[in-house]
Amino acid sequence: MLRKLTFLAVSAVITFGTLSFDLPQKSEDPGDRLVGIWEPSNGRSRIKIDRIGSKYYGRVVWLIEPNDADGNPRTDINNPDPDLRNLPLRGFRMCKDFVYQGEDTWSEGTLYDPNNGSTYNGTITMSDNNTLDMRGYIGIEAIGRTDVWKRLKMPSRKKK
Amino acid sequence: MFKFFKTIGILAFSILLVTGCSGPGEIHEYSVSDLEFSLEGPLFAGPNSEQAEISIDIADALGDAYVEGMRISDARLKSATVLPNDSLGFDQVNAFVVSFASDNEDISMQEAAVKNPLEEGAAQASLNVAPDAELGEIMEEGKVYVVLDADLAEDYWDGNRDFKLNFTLELTIK
Repeated sequence: MLRKLTFLAVSAVITFGTLSFDLPQKSEDPGDRLVGIWEPSNGRSRIKIDRIGSKYYGRVVWLIEPNDADGNPRTDINNPDPDLRNLPLRGFRMCKDFVYQGEDTWSEGTLYDPNNGSTYNGTITMSDNNTLDMRGYIGIEAIGRTDVWKRLKMPSRKKK
Repeated sequence: MFKFFKTIGILAFSILLVTGCSGPGEIHEYSVSDLEFSLEGPLFAGPNSEQAEISIDIADALGDAYVEGMRISDARLKSATVLPNDSLGFDQVNAFVVSFASDNEDISMQEAAVKNPLEEGAAQASLNVAPDAELGEIMEEGKVYVVLDADLAEDYWDGNRDFKLNFTLELTIK
């Protein structure tokens, strides 16, 4: 009898334990699928997208070259506002104000290019759960450029 | 010919009337104290972000001076100070940035103050404000998101990091 009960208990733990692992993470808003860490096609930076209020923002969390030629952390030296040229580039919000429109599309936002200090209108399309088409344009969306970003998995803590 | 000058005259008078009535507006200071931010661990080296929500009620802020229909026409950040709100102080913090945002799709987030780098051993951080950052439209929305970015030098796995923000806005009210 005891062996039977133990077997049932172990089976239940295995079954429900597995089920809870396989369940996808619940998301409050379908637009939240955009939240995560993404890598642009050139692999020179990583962008973390978060939600603030009802809109989505992406900030630089990693740079392949975090420091300038003098060894100091890079700042947004091309910012049109001279008072903000001291903003750290690592941490800079280069994607701003994106609103989920349904059908895997976020728009109404802007994309900032720190290489020249220019801001472009932006549209984000999620082609699959791990791939984004980031389209930047001025004026007409048809005339613009699209970059493909890939989702990165969050690092886990290394066991000491 | 007379009709033409009459039309121009009426037009000019109307413009004068409108601009004369609208005036430059009155400037009021609006301060927010001890706005708490808890950056939830684990935290990774680099920028970590947290948001707080405030609502600006100008009727409440102006008290008896408030007249129905008054609105915020412009807002600038005058000062911003970050203080530690835990025993760790500013340990391993390289920089702070404060930004403001709203839910309105037509209004963009604005960075408004930065401290980079942070002085070693500082008890508080007085941020350098960007006087040209126009915050009027965001403040006019009423519900405002205040975003604090803290740049950490190293990963922090042992809990949260807590900070407080004090800031003062100059609101132009018409």
